[in-house]
Amino acid sequence: MTPARENLHAANPLSDSAFAMKVCFPFICKAQNGDGGWGYQPGLDSRVEPTSWAVLALRALESSAPSTEISARGLQFLRNAQLANGSWPASAEMRSGCWVTALACWALAADVQARAAVAAGVKWICNDWPRDGSLWRRWRGRLLSHHKIAKQNDSYRGWGWTPQTSSWVEPTSFAVILLAISPIKSLPKAAARRRELARRMLYDRMCPGGGWNCGNPMVYGVAGEPLIVPTVWALLALHDEPDKPEFIMSLDWLEKNLGNARGAGSLALARIGMEVAGRKWPHGAPTIAEMYGRNEFLQNIAVASWACLAACQRHEWLAGGVAECS
Amino acid sequence: MRRPDIALVPSFQRATSRVVIRRAADYEQDLAAVIYESLRAFDLPVKDKTVLLKPNLVGFDPLCEMNTHPYVIAATRESFLRLGAAQVLIGDGPAMDRDTEAIIESVRLREFTGPLGRTFVDLNLDDVKRVLLSTHASRLKELYLPKTVLGVDFLVSMPKLKTHHWAGVTLSLKNMFGIVPGSCYGWPKNVLHWAGIDNSILDINAASRPDFAIVDGIVGMEGNGPVQGTPKPCGVLVLGDDPVAVDATCCRVMGLRPEKVKYLNAAGTLLGHLDAAKIHQLGETVASARTPFAVLDAFKELRDPGAGVWN
Repeated sequence: MTPARENLHAANPLSDSAFAMKVCFPFICKAQNGDGGWGYQPGLDSRVEPTSWAVLALRALESSAPSTEISARGLQFLRNAQLANGSWPASAEMRSGCWVTALACWALAADVQARAAVAAGVKWICNDWPRDGSLWRRWRGRLLSHHKIAKQNDSYRGWGWTPQTSSWVEPTSFAVILLAISPIKSLPKAAARRRELARRMLYDRMCPGGGWNCGNPMVYGVAGEPLIVPTVWALLALHDEPDKPEFIMSLDWLEKNLGNARGAGSLALARIGMEVAGRKWPHGAPTIAEMYGRNEFLQNIAVASWACLAACQRHEWLAGGVAECS
Repeated sequence: MRRPDIALVPSFQRATSRVVIRRAADYEQDLAAVIYESLRAFDLPVKDKTVLLKPNLVGFDPLCEMNTHPYVIAATRESFLRLGAAQVLIGDGPAMDRDTEAIIESVRLREFTGPLGRTFVDLNLDDVKRVLLSTHASRLKELYLPKTVLGVDFLVSMPKLKTHHWAGVTLSLKNMFGIVPGSCYGWPKNVLHWAGIDNSILDINAASRPDFAIVDGIVGMEGNGPVQGTPKPCGVLVLGDDPVAVDATCCRVMGLRPEKVKYLNAAGTLLGHLDAAKIHQLGETVASARTPFAVLDAFKELRDPGAGVWN
């Protein structure tokens, strides 16, 4: 299945919003699997992550492009994919939950039928502590010199990609966003502390000149290079503190590096990050439609979903609600 | 489908491996001719088969300092098609950055290979299948691996010749970290670090041993590799039908002792030949190709004093 490439006119490129409606939206709708979920690409097995992004994108476009039935089947897939302990697995075959739990809860946040499922997911997230920041690991790290290769404060703990590993920027950002959009009274007691520790961890892992990579700001004394994708997710997780110097420095880094975006996913997320932080998308910046012309997003459902979310003028989807799109 | 039974064979039962070292001074020359002629010598069973090339695509790299050069990838793809392969796919699952499209665009892969929509497989996002790990080198009991990797007829590991700040060197065996899907294990694939990098390399290669290896050593990387090291012109391509033998030969070219690389030493017992006497060397000799690579102090024991280059 190929997105409707005929809708692209190289001589007169579509705006990002028109591109989202004419190309990305039908691409996502057509790629839905029979079980209601989406794979990372059309024809692949349904997975929690791409399904979560597709559901968030379709909901964000709902006012201008109704897709109620498709969205409902997506939500049903997500509800069915939950494990007994409240978490979600990355793939249906897997028997333990992981980082996609925050995304599934986020996508299901507005679904009244999923309140108990979301509560169980949030509880699992709050009980999932990374192993690197435990007292034992910190004590051991002080004794072993090679643990000082990466300079970071391990008392700040976020979330890992998989349980019982280390804290990383993207899974931590997803969990922080989820805890921020969840009604306070529905949260477990540990949530406020977890969120605060995680926010500190994000600031601690910022690269020296602003921006984030996966979570290694300094290795062997050499500064890590920030990347657009983790930078945007960290900015979205921290966007309620827009006056913090770290936030401003990282936003500046993002703005300066828009021209280096080589992938449509990075570009779509950069647009979201800039707009949520109140920065104007610069004239002359590459468009998502132009990027699509290169590799058709590598047929990536998550990227097509981010392109739809980037097309929204008011990013209410970020708060779990429905956005109005241009 | 590849034969899993050839992955694990004790070295004394394994036939002599063949490794070719070819001179290639830069990326301007006709690499397709060099690679095609080298591959023909191996009589590889690829006719009408599906081949997967697994380059090392680490990150955003407009100067192609850390990634397998796109020209080497494209020349290899063309060579396998000339040998009669029905389909030659290119696939990787970058470890640090989930925007794979940004990485392949930064190295201009599309300019060398043509449109990638049907050719490139993002192994981070592919469908996965549970694989029980039989070697138990690490604490991992199982891994979910991409169905494309498990399903192709012929798998080619195509690393760049580099030192590595955790493992010592990163060559065709370490390159296989890239088949572990980020969608399941994250960016980076941190579960492998917790299980031990050296031991995870062994488990992954035992589960899906490359059938062939082609190392881009035209310009490698020394020092604080695999990302922040220094480019090191070495002017060679190293090819072979045994990834352990290829990696051991690469170490010798780099002036390093392969038996001192923990995972490589262990791989020499079950996955291939480490011993130079069990490697049939073709093309250039190791001595003529030797180009000493700087390593971090943590790996100074890897240096080969016999190579006469470290004094």
